[in-house]
Amino acid sequence: MKRILLFLLGLAFLANAAGIQAADVDFTVGQSTVDMDLFYNGASIPVTGAVPEGALVVVRFIGKIGEVSMKQKGKAMGLLWMNMNTLHFSHMPAICLVEASAPLAGTGQVGEKLGLAGVTDSIVIEPASADRQMLLPEILKLKKSEGLYREDGGAVKLESAKDGRQAFSASVRLPSRLTPGEYSIEVFAVKDGEIVGQSVKPIAARLVGVPAFIANLAFNHGLWYGILASLISMLAGLAVGLIFGSKGAH
Amino acid sequence: MIPMEFYLPIAGNSVNVVAVFGMGGVVGLLSGIFGVGGGFLMTPLLIMIGIPPTVAAASDSNQIVGASTSGTLAHLRLGNVDVKMGLLLLVGGVVGSTGGVYIIRMLRAMGNADFLINVTYVLMLGFIGGYMFIESLQAMRKAKAPAKSVPQEHKKASAFARFQASLPWQMDFARSGVRMSPVMPLVLGVFVGILSAIMGVGGGFIMVPVMVYLLRMPMHVVVGTGLFQMLFTCINATVMQATVNHTVDFMLALLLLLGSSIGAQIGVKAGKKLNGEQLKILLASLVLIVMFKILYQLLATPDILLAYAGGH
Repeated sequence: MKRILLFLLGLAFLANAAGIQAADVDFTVGQSTVDMDLFYNGASIPVTGAVPEGALVVVRFIGKIGEVSMKQKGKAMGLLWMNMNTLHFSHMPAICLVEASAPLAGTGQVGEKLGLAGVTDSIVIEPASADRQMLLPEILKLKKSEGLYREDGGAVKLESAKDGRQAFSASVRLPSRLTPGEYSIEVFAVKDGEIVGQSVKPIAARLVGVPAFIANLAFNHGLWYGILASLISMLAGLAVGLIFGSKGAH
Repeated sequence: MIPMEFYLPIAGNSVNVVAVFGMGGVVGLLSGIFGVGGGFLMTPLLIMIGIPPTVAAASDSNQIVGASTSGTLAHLRLGNVDVKMGLLLLVGGVVGSTGGVYIIRMLRAMGNADFLINVTYVLMLGFIGGYMFIESLQAMRKAKAPAKSVPQEHKKASAFARFQASLPWQMDFARSGVRMSPVMPLVLGVFVGILSAIMGVGGGFIMVPVMVYLLRMPMHVVVGTGLFQMLFTCINATVMQATVNHTVDFMLALLLLLGSSIGAQIGVKAGKKLNGEQLKILLASLVLIVMFKILYQLLATPDILLAYAGGH
């Protein structure tokens, strides 16, 4: 009986603690979907909220944690660079954009773990014999060059503090090279080397309008798409030929 | 404000409309001046602005369909198309480009499609650019000191003619005024088809020398028959790439087509004002510059030592 009581007490405490944690970070996202239409060229997602006063704010836009097969480049015949052996990277988010109210380097283990350093550290590479020291900076470089990984300490603006609460705002810039799918926005409050609050909200990116129509046709009705693309191309070519009275250049 | 960036769902990225349109224009201009297809320039340029190579090649095939339509019709009306020869080249071309699409798919799965595309470019551009360069230089020298290297060429031609005459089913190609075995255009068509699928080009710059030097067709028939053959080869490549690899970006193709058609109109007028051999040397230099750029990429240490396996 005593044990059960203790257990219930413990549960109540945990629930309470969780409640405090969730309440410690509250935020709203300006939109619940990212609509990728014909004119999509990246998007800015407004995130506003409040954390306990004095805390460092970390906002992350993060994609599905998954795995990806990569080819390591090497020299063929000691001369030409080409793709050589296959490597599997797992426990790796497809996209990871980190914005914080101050640079994460030097904020202690917990703070740094929330940044790209922590994310790349938890990547698992197979085969295990692969050279992590060499490969992790390379994958980071690749992802950064695609605009899919980014860390910006200072992008989260802190507003004035009131009643022990610190308001913040951020505008998370999404890259143009975004794959439609489910994503999440996470907000962490870090104080005295510890996470004092965190909260997550889902956000979906989807193709709409012309790109949605074209992608559906191209991936689900490839034959018809190919025939249509050829026909329209021919008609456009004829139209231009008529306008200019040309004999064609190719 | 008019939006300048279009999102291309197949390429998976947005591109600057003005940049793509301008690129089409520049390539069209050059092809108008030099009278050759610009596929061999278009694909590398698209790769440079961040289009995955396989998408660049497939979309360029789609663009060439449009670019060669009105020319083919005009030449058909003028009687400049050897339909029999064109159809044989086409059958070979369709077989070859279908094979090429599957080769690309296999290599994409292995992660080496882009490598093969680049190596093919270096070899073809190097060979054709080098050949044109040397030929034009010789022509310019010949103009100064005439009739010197003629006997050697005759010797070569007769050996080739003997081989050609030994092939079975000899027949007449009235429009071109030649007699040969249908095996010749069929096999050459397959060869050009494979290359055009891999490189994403109409094959014009390979097909024209093949018809002039190997099939010995007169120049005006070469141009018309080449366009005819290229149109259908590219339709096949577009449909195949769309079905098998899902790499045709139709919006990209349309933007390029508009740009290149306008550029070509200006180019044709500009080309008439320039000297023939100088034009050839210029074109050869251009081809060689593109070749060296791609070769450099193969030889220099890449910025990033990792690449996605299985395409983009």
